Amino acid sequence: MSTSFDQMIVSEEWDSTDLSLLETLDHVLNRGLVIAGEITISVADIDLVFVGLNVLVSSVETAHEVLRKRQTE
Amino acid sequence: MELSPENPLSAEPEIETSHPEEFVEQLRCVSDSLPSRINIDAEGVEQGLAKLVLTLIEFIRRLLEKQAVRRMEGGDLSPEQIEELGLALMKLEAKLQELKTQFGLTDEDLNLDLGPIGRLI
Amino acid sequence: MNLYAYCLVEDVDALDAAPLGISGAAVRLLRVGEFAVLVSNFDSDTVAVTRENALNHAAVVRSVLDRTTPLPFRFGTVITEKQLSSYISARKPALELRFALIRGCVELSVKIIRELSTEKSAPGEITSGTTFLEEKRREIRGSEQSATEANDIATWLHEQVETLTRDEQVTVRPSEKLVLAAAHLMARDKISQYKEIMAAAREKRPELHFLFSGPWPPYSFANIELEFKSQFGVS
Repeated sequence: MSTSFDQMIVSEEWDSTDLSLLETLDHVLNRGLVIAGEITISVADIDLVFVGLNVLVSSVETAHEVLRKRQTE
Repeated sequence: MELSPENPLSAEPEIETSHPEEFVEQLRCVSDSLPSRINIDAEGVEQGLAKLVLTLIEFIRRLLEKQAVRRMEGGDLSPEQIEELGLALMKLEAKLQELKTQFGLTDEDLNLDLGPIGRLI
Repeated sequence: MNLYAYCLVEDVDALDAAPLGISGAAVRLLRVGEFAVLVSNFDSDTVAVTRENALNHAAVVRSVLDRTTPLPFRFGTVITEKQLSSYISARKPALELRFALIRGCVELSVKIIRELSTEKSAPGEITSGTTFLEEKRREIRGSEQSATEANDIATWLHEQVETLTRDEQVTVRPSEKLVLAAAHLMARDKISQYKEIMAAAREKRPELHFLFSGPWPPYSFANIELEFKSQFGVS
């Protein structure tokens, strides 16, 4: 699918020939523990922004609350 | 599993290669498991849909080609059938190329990354 | 108030000087149960993917690597303290297992480029359906061979280092120049042996181009979740 990776490199921010930077990006952006879902928003293909959606974070307290509510209904 | 503070790891990860330019070129193009992009403009939405549809058609087209080749190799098609099949697939390929051009999509654009399963095409 | 989370650590009571984090914020240690998290304050929901932020993230995680093996978060982990606590207590067994895997280890990366031979017939030469199919057959057989060779490379690489590595993550892309990307997890005392073996291995395969990098914190071995990603995101 379309790659924001490409877009990021095109932006002036990046020194697109910096191999060390590219390798670092490959590690911190593509890997690592994911505890929040995310989408990346680009406007006119220029800005890239991570939006942490926290969809995977499960709250133990919340789950208990839901159960408690059901029991009292 | 002893860590050795006397021999600390170097401050920066070391990179070692005898072909840096090639790797720069490749790493710039690697479309890995990055989060999906949301493009806030109407044209982008349309293009996104076209990309999706054409990707699926392209996938099926390649399956058809593979099947056709297999049948041809299997020897159960007559020369006329092979010719007809080939012509039909040739036209399909040309048609799809037309559509790609119309929407400004490249072959790369149509290659879905399915994560651990690899690429679609 | 949000936090930006860099990595999870065990057995760390205090931070010595840590580098500055995202947007130049100070990094501190947040205790959560038996673990601790390197965090910095972050006053927004969104993190700009800039060169500086990416490098800062990497540097912060890297800064503890000499004394312990951290469990790195992916770049962009913005979260509240409450959510972080909930997550860690809910996932405690899985996190403990993950630490057991990576304890004392580092990650070393290998990427391999091979030249692709693409001989396509010139357009316009194909006039009949039959020659079209014959050409397709040649292409298909060619790419099948290519896939076999790519997998052979992966097997060969694996054999070079399997006695040294605790785990590995390998991606093979048969139709691309960057045919293989591997992450190898190994105990720290194996690093020099690994490097020697890799140096020798690369000599044996002059037709392949290698890139080695590391040691890294174990980014490739950190994830415990099934990732939810929309593959059909509109873009």
